[in-house]
Amino acid sequence: MGKTSKDKRDIYYRLAKEEGWRARSAFKLLQINEEHNIFEGVLRAVDLCAAPGSWSQVLTKSLRQNAANVDDVKIVAVDLQAMAALPGVKQIQGDITKVSTANEIIQEFKGLKADLVVCDGAPDVTGLHDIDEYVQSQLLLAALNITTHVLKVGGVFVAKIFRGKDVSLLYSQLKQFFEYVTVTKPKSSRNSSIEAFVVCQNYSPPSGYIPNMVNPLLDHKYCDFNQFTGPNRFIVPFNACGDLSAYDSDTSYPLILEGQTMYEYKEPVQEPINPPYKDIIDKTKKLQIKNS
Amino acid sequence: MPLMTRTDVTAVKFFDNYVLAGIGSQVNVFDKNSGSFLCKKEVLTGQKIYGFVISKCRQRILVFGGKKFTVVKVKVECLDTDMLERCFEPVVCNDWLLSCLWCGDTIALLTAHNVVQKWDVSSQTLVSEHASKDNSILYSGLLVPLCEDVLVMAGTVFSESIIHKCGDKVPLHRLRGHKGVIFSISCEPDKNLIVTTSDDRSVRIWSPKTIPMLPSNSLDYWQNIDIVCKYELYGHQARVMRNCITNSYVVSVGEDSVICIWDFEGKLLKKNTAHQNGCIWAVDYSDNLLVTGGGDSGVILHPLATNKHYCESQIINIDVGMPKRVLLTARRNVVILNDEDDLMYYIIDSKKTTAYKLSHESTYKLLSLSSCKQMVAVADMNGKFDVFAESCKNEPVLVNLIDTKLHLGKILSMHWAGNRHLVLCSEDGNINVLAYNNNTELYASFSLPACKERWLTSAAVDMKANIFVLGDRCGNINVYVKGKRDPIKTFIKVHGRYGPTSITIKNNHVVTTGRDGAIKYFHVDSISNQFNYMNRKDLEFPWVEKFLDKDDNLICGFQERVFVVYNMRDSCKVLEVACGGGHRSWDAQRCIIKTKDKFEPIIQLVYVKNSDINLQTYFLNKLMSRNLIKGSHSKEINCLKVYKDSQDNTKSFYISGGEDTTLRISSADIRHDMNITFRDEVVFKHLSSVRTLKLVPTIPNGLLVISGGGRAQINIKNVQFIKNADEIEVESQELVEYLVKGTDKERKGNQSWKNCTVDFDPETRIMDIDVIKDNEDLFIFAGCSDAVLRIFSFNNTFKTITESKYHKTCILKTHCFRFLDKDILATATTRGNVAFWLIDDLHSKDNWEPFFIVKTRESGVNSIATKVFDNNILLATGGDDNSILLHFLKPNQGELTSLAIESTWSSSNYHSSQITGILIVEDLLLSTSIDQRITLFKWNIENGIDCEYKTQMYSNVADIQGMDVLDVSSDSIKVCVFGKGLEVVSIPKHSN
Repeated sequence: MGKTSKDKRDIYYRLAKEEGWRARSAFKLLQINEEHNIFEGVLRAVDLCAAPGSWSQVLTKSLRQNAANVDDVKIVAVDLQAMAALPGVKQIQGDITKVSTANEIIQEFKGLKADLVVCDGAPDVTGLHDIDEYVQSQLLLAALNITTHVLKVGGVFVAKIFRGKDVSLLYSQLKQFFEYVTVTKPKSSRNSSIEAFVVCQNYSPPSGYIPNMVNPLLDHKYCDFNQFTGPNRFIVPFNACGDLSAYDSDTSYPLILEGQTMYEYKEPVQEPINPPYKDIIDKTKKLQIKNS
Repeated sequence: MPLMTRTDVTAVKFFDNYVLAGIGSQVNVFDKNSGSFLCKKEVLTGQKIYGFVISKCRQRILVFGGKKFTVVKVKVECLDTDMLERCFEPVVCNDWLLSCLWCGDTIALLTAHNVVQKWDVSSQTLVSEHASKDNSILYSGLLVPLCEDVLVMAGTVFSESIIHKCGDKVPLHRLRGHKGVIFSISCEPDKNLIVTTSDDRSVRIWSPKTIPMLPSNSLDYWQNIDIVCKYELYGHQARVMRNCITNSYVVSVGEDSVICIWDFEGKLLKKNTAHQNGCIWAVDYSDNLLVTGGGDSGVILHPLATNKHYCESQIINIDVGMPKRVLLTARRNVVILNDEDDLMYYIIDSKKTTAYKLSHESTYKLLSLSSCKQMVAVADMNGKFDVFAESCKNEPVLVNLIDTKLHLGKILSMHWAGNRHLVLCSEDGNINVLAYNNNTELYASFSLPACKERWLTSAAVDMKANIFVLGDRCGNINVYVKGKRDPIKTFIKVHGRYGPTSITIKNNHVVTTGRDGAIKYFHVDSISNQFNYMNRKDLEFPWVEKFLDKDDNLICGFQERVFVVYNMRDSCKVLEVACGGGHRSWDAQRCIIKTKDKFEPIIQLVYVKNSDINLQTYFLNKLMSRNLIKGSHSKEINCLKVYKDSQDNTKSFYISGGEDTTLRISSADIRHDMNITFRDEVVFKHLSSVRTLKLVPTIPNGLLVISGGGRAQINIKNVQFIKNADEIEVESQELVEYLVKGTDKERKGNQSWKNCTVDFDPETRIMDIDVIKDNEDLFIFAGCSDAVLRIFSFNNTFKTITESKYHKTCILKTHCFRFLDKDILATATTRGNVAFWLIDDLHSKDNWEPFFIVKTRESGVNSIATKVFDNNILLATGGDDNSILLHFLKPNQGELTSLAIESTWSSSNYHSSQITGILIVEDLLLSTSIDQRITLFKWNIENGIDCEYKTQMYSNVADIQGMDVLDVSSDSIKVCVFGKGLEVVSIPKHSN
């Protein structure tokens, strides 16, 4: 496979490298904002499961336009893994299921709460769709749980979801905390992928709700107003986002794009760090069963 | 219950004389000894089964999966079909279940947030709940019984396994070392063993540093041990999903389809591949058996045996010289050619060797064994020629029949064609066929067309048709008839650089193998003098040598240094022996031997390694796995069409293409359980994923299968369904293998990848195709990912007609239909546009443009259907936005091009994710989606288009990619939905 194959296979992968984003997912957040104006008036934002940091990059770039003084903009990125430093982003290497992490965030905002919390985290997928969907929904609910500690009332929460067989259970849980819940799919997210994003607006926790990290939030069960099958299923509105002129992630583009005269190969902005299979290849190469 | 469910098999369990398999929400029961299917029962409605736990009294089975559990009773006294009884409706817990344990009449459940719940089974009430502080999501877990309580082993995402006593705040042990998510934990306290598997590809065996003199089911034991990782084992090439500890082994299974058997000291004893490269999701053992369930929907029983059980091996000593060549004879003895001009005959039973002096002048020796394995021909380059025959009866001896000198010039190759003809090739492509009939006579002579290395590598004869089929060193297959010197047909470069390794002829079929990893099939009709290439089958190893049995089921070859025997019927490797590779001298055969009054099939393998002659006997009964349910696609099915053959209404055929790059034609017998009778008849390979396929019926009983997919590939096959006694045989011929962008060679020439210039064209996937038949011409409309609509024609030859760049984004669907006596094409894109094109006189179209466009939605259209009635069109589309849209289109004054939207109906309330399948059947509308629901509506146009919800059902198939109709009766519709597996369901038409 040639060096350029990946550039051809995926337009956003290539554009991300050309525009200096650490991952193609940067475009997803930009396109969500185009449709939902989630950055409007935001000064304090939290990026959960931030590595490799492309959403933090987008936040820094976009939020600076909201303040006369750049120092008023505060962005906190949280991840279990270490992430290469980003100017203007405070990094917390921590677990989003811990109260201490929530406190660290608040401290960073000098006691104030966040206007916006975003989460683009995805689990290690197993290939069994129901497990993957469940683990993703638990990751989202863990993100929601910490969000209930750090988000101001009226704030916005954006997170990745997998639209599988039980996604309506997750919607009904989210709807308890936010007035508006919409599912959106950016043009930079592939049509063939089950990934989408929930945009939850106007944070308004149920009266008397006390944020609590000891018990994880769990998703709901099927019930009368959200049946397993049938017309009474809890389905939230969907919209597609991204400019009409935007590139389409399913379309194959030539290396020289319309309006361009030349193409130059660019290296990825940020190489991956320590995958689990890192030192395995050598070990298995020497392996052979002896017949004796 | 669905009529057939084929999807990931996520749970398997031995239970007394039964094997249980969890397929979707159903339990399937098999007889352990006969392997026969007994019954199935829907148990966990709407949820995959992930585990079975058998109660101590062995009468109740806890079945769990997802957040649900229930208990099933096995009633042995009942008929097989009624033997399972579900005790209660599944209980829904508030969290995902990972492991369960019976404790008398209560059960303990471990959830994904490391909480132990105890339930009273008889009343199905939660008794108590014990949360752990380590409550981040777990990927695996295990509850181990203690005499005091329950021990919890939790496999975290943070690469450690945490052991604590249920309810305790402080964990007892943290097993650290893995570098990724822990996917499975097993524990055998009596053996002082814990085994974990992980994302990091390793299997780890843990044990107490020193074993205390305490009962291993006591808390004391667990408090007083120091657990260390004894062995860190690598045998898998991908993530290791599950493991089990048997009486003597650790068995691990992985995403790479591999089963590894290790001893407790971490030595890899056996490694074999099952489930066609799909992930293995489940494994269990019982005495000498293993059962696995996989991502290919298959359930397989394996003998739990290692080399010492199924292999007998010895080294043959010859007293004179060094062995050069070895052969195995019909009586399972060994013929050896040494470096001192002797031909030796080694009798296995008596261990006696007899030697025959050959008096060769040249050291370039040729040796060949006839098909019957009784005739051995040996010659040197200069023509010294001997034929020996092995005696059929009595004492085995090798008799010299011919000892002569041939005057054929320098002999370069010699092969038996059948049992009577020897094909010798000498310089300048001179081929002489000698027939043996008490004496040698020149039977025929041929000329091999000029080529770089002008000699033969294999030969076969068909005496009925009087043809010789000879394979040469340059990979060509030549067909000769006696009397004509030149070939009457040559197939160029069939088997790459090394030439065909074997040729077999059987009933008008020529089958060839080669060192290009493929078997190729030809059809020979000597009466009409027609010779056609039919198709190929690609195997998993590059060097394919020959068939070992008469049924052409076991085929052998090499993968690098490993000798491989492959089972064609089950698409799996039977045996792998690291013998050093095919370049050394070796031979193998399958035969039947009598041992202790019973007949056993064996594989005999002989090879020379380090100047030793190694002879090995493999007992197939201890080696061959048995399918309880045959596997098929190992990844998502992207496209599927159902076909019913008029000759046999008991069978339905499924033609499907998938992400695993295969196109398969499978059949199922509707008189029996369809999942059990389901089998792949033929499997073809594409270069990349198969995304779309269409069928065009041919007369009388055939189909043209047109498929397309990644790497811009379009293939056309002619498939014939031939009735042969009670069976229908599927015969297929590859007609077109076309790459829009050309083959790699056409694109890049002979340049190496290093100095290859950058290719600026976009990579293209064929997203969808549709076909119309106009007289004898076939027109193929291909919607491509590079936004181009390409049109091809096929009538013996495949031609590009035209293309349109009207769409600016990826085309997802192409759909043809008849309207006002015209053929219409509808195309749909990722931007939600549906364009209508008039198909007429395509040859003269340069700037083909649609005549009508409907913007259905902002996002992609993933399914499309039309129905034409009263000169109107009903267009139904489903998309990424969960919505179903109906457009009622009417032409103005009957003028086709003045189509206008009369009325519309839309709803996004019935599916929660992408709608991938939509069908209009009579006055009904069916939709299906990634959310695993199938919805039935009834539409009408009394006051503009309207649609009424009728019913919805759940499907066990994840990632549904579409559906096709099997059957429509007066009260129901049978459809097949496909995705990660396939399911056939019957939907009642008149439900409310």
